[in-house]
Amino acid sequence: MKLTSMGVPALDDHLGGGVQKGSTVLVVGGPGSGTEFFAKQFASTGQEPVTYFTSTERDEDVLAVMREHGWRTDINIVNIGTKYYEGVLAKKLEISRFRQEGITLEDIRRIREKDAHREENFLTFLAYEISKLTPPFRVVINSLDFFLENYDSAEVLMAMRTIKAHTQHSESLTLMTVLKGVHASRIQSSIEDLADVIFELDREKVGHEFKKYIVVQKVRNRPGLVGILPCAFDQSGIRTC
Amino acid sequence: MPPRTGDRDRCVTGIDGLDTILYGGIPRDNTVLLTGSCGTGKTSLALEYLIHGAVSGENSLFISVTENSEKLLMNIIPYKFFDRELIKSGRLVFVDMPAMYERLGMTKAELSMEEIDLLVAAIGSLVKELGIRRMVMDSITSVCYKLKTPEKIRDFILKLSKTLSDLNCTSILVSEVAAQSSAYSTFGVEEAISDGIVLMANMERRGDLLRTLQVIKMRGTMHSRAKYVLDLTPVGVLLVPLLKGGSAGT
Repeated sequence: MKLTSMGVPALDDHLGGGVQKGSTVLVVGGPGSGTEFFAKQFASTGQEPVTYFTSTERDEDVLAVMREHGWRTDINIVNIGTKYYEGVLAKKLEISRFRQEGITLEDIRRIREKDAHREENFLTFLAYEISKLTPPFRVVINSLDFFLENYDSAEVLMAMRTIKAHTQHSESLTLMTVLKGVHASRIQSSIEDLADVIFELDREKVGHEFKKYIVVQKVRNRPGLVGILPCAFDQSGIRTC
Repeated sequence: MPPRTGDRDRCVTGIDGLDTILYGGIPRDNTVLLTGSCGTGKTSLALEYLIHGAVSGENSLFISVTENSEKLLMNIIPYKFFDRELIKSGRLVFVDMPAMYERLGMTKAELSMEEIDLLVAAIGSLVKELGIRRMVMDSITSVCYKLKTPEKIRDFILKLSKTLSDLNCTSILVSEVAAQSSAYSTFGVEEAISDGIVLMANMERRGDLLRTLQVIKMRGTMHSRAKYVLDLTPVGVLLVPLLKGGSAGT
């Protein structure tokens, strides 16, 4: 079995060296549980070129965290959030202004061909960008929530299947983050079913502190590896304790 | 002595025959449905109405829904009285409805009640901004396809007529009907709520296809209800009464 590192040494140890190449890894957690941080630490390791899709942060925010922890910054960031802002939200803002104030002749005349372009399908964009990567690659999708909010769940699952198949056949690695307890349980189950490996970041309040855990929920074909690992977040990243 | 036709101020269309039929022109602030099947001359008549308005100093607006206005201008009849300077000076303005839809984010196939209000308000603000006295929308039927239900169509035309009328704008809404249709409008709603209906049609006579015009209804004035034969020429629309005896060929 060809294994590759998840970027968290103690987790790799628990997994007997890492996850199998070709895996699609799902990281689940509630808000503030550290899924994005986990994704970055994952992006910091491996020999493969890294492509980091983000829908929540600016490029400089991603890079700042990487730099702060001394991680590699030679990653390719594809900012879907920025594209979404420029292509959709900014336009919505403009439309609300026109709806509120009315349109002048000048506004109408200003329309150029580029304004009339069709709204981009970011799900298609995501699958297309991944299909173009030269394997083996390491991909981070942070987060699936953006796609589940904006597109039909069946469409998202279909895109996930495509990405998963591509990852598998090219012996690459894809990590996706998703919020816990937000999506309908049927969708959540389908996503979990698709994933080869699932980590859940969990915490419990003990006295005045949080105790944090990486819950290894699923490792395809290696059911003996599921378990709960107490962990901590510090300057070196996530470590188990 | 000419018949008394009330006190309403007239918008002189500049189309001689039509002004005669209407005893002086369209009563000001009316919204008139200009209806007919394709090729009957609706767009040409509507354009001529605007050009005459612009020449006589009234700001005129053509909202093109179906056709790109640049293309429309390329195919315009070379009228003797039309000067492109009217467009440059802003006296005659062409606006494409798709551009307005785009600006207002109305790209979906069906508009909601709220969006109808917004669309009417946007047209109103444009008419106000440019001081428009004459407006043509070509065609209202294309807008109706985006409204779908009779309730919404009714709502849209009523609100649009009210808005335009309040802004002292005399308007022509071009409506398309199928060639064999006996109704005056595609959705059946448009005709009931406009201030006037001018019907244009094709009529075959002795192997010739004639264009005809008939004023069916016009609030605020007396008018002839006779059918007229219409000819589109570079000096404008010419109208002559249809000779009733001619059809038998005797």
